[in-house]
Amino acid sequence: MNPIAPIVHPTALTLHPTEPLLQVAGLAVSYGRIRAVDGIDLTVEPGRIVSLVGSNGAGKTTTLMALSGLLPLAAGRIRFAGEDITTLAPELRVARGIAHVPERRRVFAGMSVRENLVLGAYSRGDAVDIASDLERMVALFPRLGERMAQLAGTLSGGEQQMLAIARGLMSRPSLLIMDEPTMGLAPQMIDLILDTVLEIRKQGMTVLLVEQNAVEAMRLSDHVYIMRLGRIVHEDSGANIDPERVKSFYLGADS
Amino acid sequence: MDYLGQLLANGLVLGAIYALAAVAFTLVYGVVRLVNFAFGELFMLGAFLTASLMLPEVRLIGMVVPMPGFSLPVAAAGAILLTGALGVLVDRIAYRPLRNAPRLAPLITSIAVSVVLQSLAQTVWGAEELRFPEFHLATLPPVVLFDSIYLSVMDLVVMATALAAMLGLSAFIARSSLGRAMRASAEDQMAATLVGIPVNRVVAAAFAIGSGFAALAGLLYAQTYGFAHSSMGFLPGLKALTAAVLGGIGSIPGAALGGLILGLVEALGSGYLPNGTAWKDAISFVLLVGLLYLRPQGLLGKPELNSAGRGSLLGGASEFGAGWLRAAFAKVDGGLARAAAAGPRAALALLAVAILVGLLVPSDYWLRILTMVVIYGMLASGLNVIVGFAGLLDLGFVAFWAVGSYLTSILFVLVLKDQFGVAPADIWWLLYLNLPLAGLLAAGFAVILGTPTLRLRGDYLAIMTLGFGEIVRVVAINWMDLTNGPMGIRGIPAPNLFGIALGSPRAQFFFALALAVLVVFAIARLVRSYVGRAWVAIREDEEAAEAMGVPTARYKLYAYAASGFVGGFVGVFYAHTQQYISPLNFSLFENILLLMLVVLGGLGTFIGPFIGALIWIVFLQLALDLPFVQAYPETRFALLGIVLIVLMVFRPQGLAASARVALTMPGTRPAKAKEAA
Repeated sequence: MNPIAPIVHPTALTLHPTEPLLQVAGLAVSYGRIRAVDGIDLTVEPGRIVSLVGSNGAGKTTTLMALSGLLPLAAGRIRFAGEDITTLAPELRVARGIAHVPERRRVFAGMSVRENLVLGAYSRGDAVDIASDLERMVALFPRLGERMAQLAGTLSGGEQQMLAIARGLMSRPSLLIMDEPTMGLAPQMIDLILDTVLEIRKQGMTVLLVEQNAVEAMRLSDHVYIMRLGRIVHEDSGANIDPERVKSFYLGADS
Repeated sequence: MDYLGQLLANGLVLGAIYALAAVAFTLVYGVVRLVNFAFGELFMLGAFLTASLMLPEVRLIGMVVPMPGFSLPVAAAGAILLTGALGVLVDRIAYRPLRNAPRLAPLITSIAVSVVLQSLAQTVWGAEELRFPEFHLATLPPVVLFDSIYLSVMDLVVMATALAAMLGLSAFIARSSLGRAMRASAEDQMAATLVGIPVNRVVAAAFAIGSGFAALAGLLYAQTYGFAHSSMGFLPGLKALTAAVLGGIGSIPGAALGGLILGLVEALGSGYLPNGTAWKDAISFVLLVGLLYLRPQGLLGKPELNSAGRGSLLGGASEFGAGWLRAAFAKVDGGLARAAAAGPRAALALLAVAILVGLLVPSDYWLRILTMVVIYGMLASGLNVIVGFAGLLDLGFVAFWAVGSYLTSILFVLVLKDQFGVAPADIWWLLYLNLPLAGLLAAGFAVILGTPTLRLRGDYLAIMTLGFGEIVRVVAINWMDLTNGPMGIRGIPAPNLFGIALGSPRAQFFFALALAVLVVFAIARLVRSYVGRAWVAIREDEEAAEAMGVPTARYKLYAYAASGFVGGFVGVFYAHTQQYISPLNFSLFENILLLMLVVLGGLGTFIGPFIGALIWIVFLQLALDLPFVQAYPETRFALLGIVLIVLMVFRPQGLAASARVALTMPGTRPAKAKEAA
């Protein structure tokens, strides 16, 4: 019944089992004179869901944008699948297997759902498998299947989020980066999106997630990093983390 | 009927060419939201390159160079490829560093690129026309339709080529992977990057295709009219831009429709209107102005929100530049900041220096040049009100200047002297009346033109003002009874005060200086008032200003009117110092020059326009001593263009940016100590 098996990029499978998929050391990003991310270390093991939580302005989105190459680093190194990608152009990172589903979805509003998905596979260049991947996306999100010819801008917020995730998966990534996938969605839709995250992980995907909703993120994740003012202030496995402690970070009390 | 048919046929040929060039504007605008004014020059280069490749030899920079002598199709393909490559190069050097800059920056840069390319083409191919070689298809007998409409074989080739190229491009954009990537980049560059689209390369592809279309249009135009010339791209470029806006910029079918309409309207207008050929250049602009009133998004365009790029040129320090360059500018900045902190004292000291210079400079020649510096400085100050303080690009400012100059010249010479025989010396006081009168008249024009257009987005406003400037120039050339046409008006009396002639260069310099004090004082009062604060708010973020309760359309109108007033006011004095004016004095190039002076000196400063004018006009004179410049005077303009591009990339806020006017509330002093630290 399940045709969704090979959703994962081949690099993830050839990886040596002990090496982390993503390794970030001393990453720093500046906006002019303001240092938004100030030397953070992150490790993402293959097949895990790792979350980055923290209050507004903690530097979560900036970190993700640096990982996908949208922002230049002020310092630090990024290793992905055994390769140093610190200075790699963003489009080449997509080709290496990093897919970034951006904050606020950012689907191509004036293009059809199908075109959005086809563009998701742009970095692959092979026209052959796109049809079968489209089918897989429809299996994952049946709602998109009903709306293939519709303009993406006319979808509801939740449907746009599904499309954004599916567009990211079309590149057959080994790491899916998601920036606030539940922002502004109805509670029902939030459950559906988070269930999907678990579902794609079950198929072997590695996920790096930024969530405002720390409780949900902790429930979902194998590992949680807590950021505050550009630094990582605490990390632990999702099950071990003490919600009271998280609260104190959010409220700004010192640990 | 035969006549109509022939006009329609001619209109179709012209429309096909306009449509091709319009595609260039529309394609690049669609992807990067840039009105690339330089396409007019790429159009011209397409024509020159094709003609050169077809000839056995050409004179380049005065030297005879052997050429391959290809046939038209081969030469055209070569020219299109070369122009496409040049377009990519221009994008890489001049536009890509400005991708995230405020929209005004690349717009001004594209104007500078246009000046550079035109001056270089004139240097390389010379100032004369290059005859376009004959192609053997052109010698075939014309095709006759309905026994009366003559179409040459080449006319048919032009139309077929245009149709094929546009259909091909539409299919490419709709179907191909690169075309899809272009549309995606046009919608959302960040999202396009995240799906793995190399956006910079996609933009380069758009420039390559657009430049190729411009070259194709240019070579077909040159083929049809039989010549290539370094300024040939200017008007067709404007028309093509008009066509693109007419059809809805960003839409390829829109460009085709706009080009066709424009070609037909021009052909019919020149055929049926009285003296139509003379007025045909104005027709298209009247059409444009009219359409922008009624349907600003164009015929097939989608309405776009009035959201120009946020932020102004002034705030953003460039992220490029070597350390020593920054250090050098830091010194300049420090000095200017201290001078600005001194406030009125510094201004008075500057005035004292200017007076001393006026008293001590012995040569009449240099006094005349310094008078021009002050005049251009004043005009640039007027333009600075709208560009530097309100943040709107105005390419029609020169029209206000023309209104002032013509008003006083017509009254003094054509009406009072020629009609009533009044000697100018008897009515010397009229000059002083004309100064504010011309200012008001120009401001009135600004209000009439600005009321409907200032609601538009920034670049549409620029195109609209450009159209207005051209209309005034065409009127000045063709309304013989009013303006004496291209002959211009001679014998405008020199200024006179209570019967004392102020004709000597020294007297004129001090007259100009007095006016400059008046102009700068008036602008300073305005800028430091609540009106100025509203302007700056609009410049920095129009939407935020609107949200804070600034009625933006009304304050933009005030800025436009104030700038127009200065233009008209200074125009009166200009006419009396020159004593002769003609439409040539008020070309778009003068407007571009003024804009460059403002940017060079520093937008949004009081001293910047004068610094820009001083640097440029003195350089213009000094450079004439160089032998190379004597042989190729137009290279000076290329240099100005290059300086401006470099400035836009490395220091968009201009040389004297630290003299930027700080906003103050009445009774308070801005904190200067912190800045100096």
